[in-house]
Amino acid sequence: MKRKVTRNRPARTASKPARRVPAKASAAAKSRRKHRAPAMVEQPDVIDSLVSASAQALRLPIERSWRGGIKFNLQLILRIATLVDEFPLPDDTEPGPVFHA
Amino acid sequence: MLDTPATDAKWSTATDIAAAFASGQLSAVSVVEATLARIRERDPLLNSFTAVVEQRALARAKALDEARARGQQAGPLAGVPFAVKNLFDIAGLPTIAGSKINREAPSARRDATLVERLEAAGAILIGALNMGEYAYDFTGENIHDGASRNPHDLDRMSGGSSGGSASAVAGGLVPLALGSDTNGSIRVPSSLCGIFGLKPTYGRLSRARTFPFVASLDHVGPLARTAHDLALAYDAMQGFDPDDPVCADRATESVAQLLERGTDGLRIAVASGYFKCRTAESCYALDRVASALGANRDIEIPQADRARAAAFVITATEGASLHLDRLRVRAQDYDPDVRDRLIAGAMAPAALVVKAQKFRRWYREQVLKLFTEVDAILAPATPCTAPLIGQKTFMLGDAELPVRANLGIYTQPISFIGLPVVAVPVPLAPLPIAVQVIAAPWREDVALRIAHTLEAKGVVAAMRPPL
Repeated sequence: MKRKVTRNRPARTASKPARRVPAKASAAAKSRRKHRAPAMVEQPDVIDSLVSASAQALRLPIERSWRGGIKFNLQLILRIATLVDEFPLPDDTEPGPVFHA
Repeated sequence: MLDTPATDAKWSTATDIAAAFASGQLSAVSVVEATLARIRERDPLLNSFTAVVEQRALARAKALDEARARGQQAGPLAGVPFAVKNLFDIAGLPTIAGSKINREAPSARRDATLVERLEAAGAILIGALNMGEYAYDFTGENIHDGASRNPHDLDRMSGGSSGGSASAVAGGLVPLALGSDTNGSIRVPSSLCGIFGLKPTYGRLSRARTFPFVASLDHVGPLARTAHDLALAYDAMQGFDPDDPVCADRATESVAQLLERGTDGLRIAVASGYFKCRTAESCYALDRVASALGANRDIEIPQADRARAAAFVITATEGASLHLDRLRVRAQDYDPDVRDRLIAGAMAPAALVVKAQKFRRWYREQVLKLFTEVDAILAPATPCTAPLIGQKTFMLGDAELPVRANLGIYTQPISFIGLPVVAVPVPLAPLPIAVQVIAAPWREDVALRIAHTLEAKGVVAAMRPPL
């Protein structure tokens, strides 16, 4: 059964979200969007190196059998983080680590 | 007509039990003995409890009966049995948080604040409930304790991470349970098991003496079989607590007596865009709820996909930070699925985490503007009904996606900015599914009024399972 509604706004799909650029987005942020480097997450050898280097830097012992799962999840985090990374925000945006309504 | 405790002790609500106790129809000891008997009978199937505090519960019940005999006034939850996700401290037990490692921790010396508050209102703690390891879960599976099971189909997931809480309430073991919700861990299991769940505003209910997961996203709240039971428990648990630095210093705003006000005058819209339903069940449920409320307007929550992404990044990294020391020395004792995600989170660049936190402030401001136009927003709670236990992927539209990461796609963008939500269960056959009723910060009353109205109309209800 399909819900019949009066649409005040056109529905948008998740795969093509509307881009809302904040009025005060910095020129630097806009420039970064235009000149973004190729995504690191598409390069498996880069992920492998990152896992090795991070494990060493963080003193995290990793067994060989875990590497596949860790690489998969790190790649997933980086891919998803792209959605945040590419979104331009003014330089003076304060982080909101704790929500106060 | 609702069953009464006298006719159906297995499916009585907290409201029924409290009324029957207050009127002298039931003794607290008889309620606890019946509850313990049900747990012995059914929990081998449901696997929802990890500890039962039988002696404590019976002693507490006896004290309540004696107090009533002395003429003492009963609290609003007097005689009501409840249980808590095993990340809540229970004095005398280690707080295992679904893990193997925490079983070696010293026993808690004091109950969690919310346990103390429910007991101060007369409720009786029965035990601790199964959960996904360290709350990093949407499935209800647990490698150490086994999966908690969905009472509507024992082969299916209860949902996570408060899986045991939902399983115990939906299975009729207790009428009330507490869970936690970082990204959807009350709302997802409420949806899959077909019960009501309240995730309050961030900072509304104290998290003191609970085991954390992601401090800046962690909420705690009740699960029950009616909206009125949620309201009763919520009212009993409100109030400032200096032991939780995030707990807001606000006066208690009681909701239970407001439920009969209905929805007249409330502006209710349906979330569009990212929140568009993707399966027949979730579309039907949303349609049914929206139609009953006359919600014929769509509203777009801007950049919800990025909000979900930011919540995902913050969860992975903040969770990793919490567990870093343990991962260095005890990584082999984690569930491999949890371990790999946490280790990966520790390796994510910090710059992306700060960006996610900055985006959070921007997004919050945009969403709060919507609440000048509407009072509540409806959205699916889960993309589908309960998957099979052990199922790794599911189809959403044309895409095959991992179950574990995607059961919370509709819940994550909401808890990300701490909005209050009530998950309301639509009783579909063979499996239920819930809709989120989302309100502005501190307006739990609006979401609960809507839930209660829908229940009165027969649109939403906790289905009794065939156990």
